Amino acid sequence: MTDERTDETETDETTTDTKADETSTGTETDETPNDTEADAPASTDDDGVPKHWAYAREQAATATDGGVTATDGGQSAEASQQQSNVLVEGEDAELDRGPFQRWVASSISNPDRAYRAMFYTATIFFLFTTLFPFYWLLMVALTPEGQQQDIILTPNGFNPAAFVEVFQVLPFHWYVFNSFVIATASTIVVLVIASLAGYAFGRLQFPGKIPLMLLVLVISFFPPAAFFIPLNDLFNTQFVALEPITGDGSLYNTPGAMVLPLSAIFMPLAIFILTTFYSQIPDGLEDAARVEGTTRLGALFRVIIPLSAPGVATAGVLTFIAVYNEFFFSFLMTDGQPENWAPILEGILGYQGQYEVMYHLMAASSIIGVIPVAILVIIAQEKIVSGLTAGALKE
Amino acid sequence: MARVQLDHITKRYEDVTAVDDVSMEIEDGEFVTFVGPSGCGKSTTMETVAGLTKPTDGKVYIGDREVTRLAPKDRGVAMVFQNIALFPHMDVFENISFGLRLRKYDDEEVRHRVEQAADIVQLEGMLDRMPDEMSGGQRQRVAIARAIVRNPDVFLMDEPLANLDAKLRVHMRTELQRLHRELETTIIYVTHDQAEAMTMSNRIAVLNEGTLQQLAPPLECYNEPANLFVAGFIGSPSMNFVEGELTATGFESDNVDVAFEPELVPSVTSGDTLTLGIRPEDVHLVATADGVTEPTAELHATADVLEPMGDEVFVYLLLSEEADRSMEQEPATAPNQLLMSVTPDTDIHEGKEVAVVLDRSKIHLFETATGDALRHDLTEHSDGGAGPAATEADT
Repeated sequence: MTDERTDETETDETTTDTKADETSTGTETDETPNDTEADAPASTDDDGVPKHWAYAREQAATATDGGVTATDGGQSAEASQQQSNVLVEGEDAELDRGPFQRWVASSISNPDRAYRAMFYTATIFFLFTTLFPFYWLLMVALTPEGQQQDIILTPNGFNPAAFVEVFQVLPFHWYVFNSFVIATASTIVVLVIASLAGYAFGRLQFPGKIPLMLLVLVISFFPPAAFFIPLNDLFNTQFVALEPITGDGSLYNTPGAMVLPLSAIFMPLAIFILTTFYSQIPDGLEDAARVEGTTRLGALFRVIIPLSAPGVATAGVLTFIAVYNEFFFSFLMTDGQPENWAPILEGILGYQGQYEVMYHLMAASSIIGVIPVAILVIIAQEKIVSGLTAGALKE
Repeated sequence: MARVQLDHITKRYEDVTAVDDVSMEIEDGEFVTFVGPSGCGKSTTMETVAGLTKPTDGKVYIGDREVTRLAPKDRGVAMVFQNIALFPHMDVFENISFGLRLRKYDDEEVRHRVEQAADIVQLEGMLDRMPDEMSGGQRQRVAIARAIVRNPDVFLMDEPLANLDAKLRVHMRTELQRLHRELETTIIYVTHDQAEAMTMSNRIAVLNEGTLQQLAPPLECYNEPANLFVAGFIGSPSMNFVEGELTATGFESDNVDVAFEPELVPSVTSGDTLTLGIRPEDVHLVATADGVTEPTAELHATADVLEPMGDEVFVYLLLSEEADRSMEQEPATAPNQLLMSVTPDTDIHEGKEVAVVLDRSKIHLFETATGDALRHDLTEHSDGGAGPAATEADT
């Protein structure tokens, strides 16, 4: 059997069977549909093991009416000879296979089927574990207040007004805005600094380059909690220089209290991504830009970064999402008031009162909170996909 | 328009000296080619002129300014790169106008100059194409247009034709010569292809292992090479070298003796080791040597291998009977071999015994120890081959 046939077997077993029949017998012209059907299950085995096929074909031929057997009479003799060979030499020949055994046997001779089955299993598993919570969140959000018990697949009632109520109970849009500002600012800080670092690490030779890169890597291993106490202390300290900006001179309750530590924490990943990308831009392009009239920095921003757009988009989106989703510093660096730059997290937790927990509002606000990230990912999707794979491919 | 002066340029990398004390002066409007084998420092020398590489020692002047420490963009140079180095994310117009836009020319002026430059390199109507939609020759012309559009003082070309196919290369060679005639700009051109060097330049600078061997017009490098390296590098196939020693009656070696008065080479004394150089076209069969006014004594040899090239035939002559046909040595430099070029209608075949003479006026004598040329003409009445002093490169 050729590979071509093997592929066809998967798509249309009956057709392939007919072809296989013709190819191997050559003489068989009068096939009844009955004969074809009877052959079908066995033939897939035989893509890899022709002797088995001949045996199964023989079985089928004897099982059907005598007319068919008569028309391929000479063929039957040949086949029965093969059958005896099978029984003597091929001791593993199994006469009665169940559907699962047949599937296993065909997967061994045809591993693509097994891989495909694994792919679907994994895909369905991941879709279930990622999308089902979302679905359930939506069900909780749509269920009217006080009926949240026993939600499994359908909401107990239908109350889309929760998505409006969210904004009436708390200024939730304000929290979303705060989070958006903090995530955007962190992303910009990370991209600018990581670009400079990535340029140095990726395109320049200097003593101590490898130790410095290792240091960056080590910093990324630090647990964020290790920074919290000193940072909290620092951000609560009042500096005269900061008074015109923050009012009381401390960074607590300002975006700075989150942008600074979060930028630092997510910086190493961005540095590594951008280093990889920038190092792949040919030297000639940078030289050309410099001769044409840019500085090194100008060449970075006019030539290297535009050509590394997938990498920059990847680093940017990963940073944005990470900061937007961050819990620890977001929870502790403000007092939870929207006018004090409390992020979305505080908004969602705000529906949890002393005497009641408005689960449907928490669910609705969670869904609303996902929207900005979803939009961002959809916009940047194309670049991200090429960015995540481009590092592995030499162009 | 400017002259370029290199003043004792040295460039050392950690343990390699890429350029070793190179000094030269390139006149305004001159077309100078740096030529030499791979790794001889020709590209590094050019990069120090462009400012992409800072010399370890020495000074670079363009016009009347010292530019050694100036950034590439402030030097008034334009460069065409070996890998063309067009910015892939910009169309042709943006590529050509990149330098102008950086210098804040107004739109009208930019458009006018880009169109003019595109006109010169015959790129009309292609200004909105992207580089990846163009052929190699077209891209090369865009790169040249990008270089000429700024009216640079000095034009640097780093093997611009190396990546083109043979036919296009010959075409672009004439285009570049036309361009040089039209623009009258100083051009420094780097190549390892001596055909490009010989045909295009006013003067060629032969470099080897980071040092300047000779800076002279192409024919002078060919006819009066300053040393053994230049003699062997310029000309294809390369010059025959025979090692021997100076005696009271002239040059003596195992197979080749040439009589002359030792006073012709006053700087060496009898017994010193000399190398005699003779180009293949200056070795003549006795039968066809009528045009040679002062032939040497006849040499007897056997035609070993014939290489018909179409317009001429290269004949490898074996000078001695106990011919050692070792393949380990380069044919033309083996001590008992001599390469001769003859016209295709010459009556010669492999294995034929022939008598040849050398043209005395085309014999070059080198001091083996230093490699320096001693004399380029052994006819006694002339004062030819003014000696090494006149062709000394480091002036």
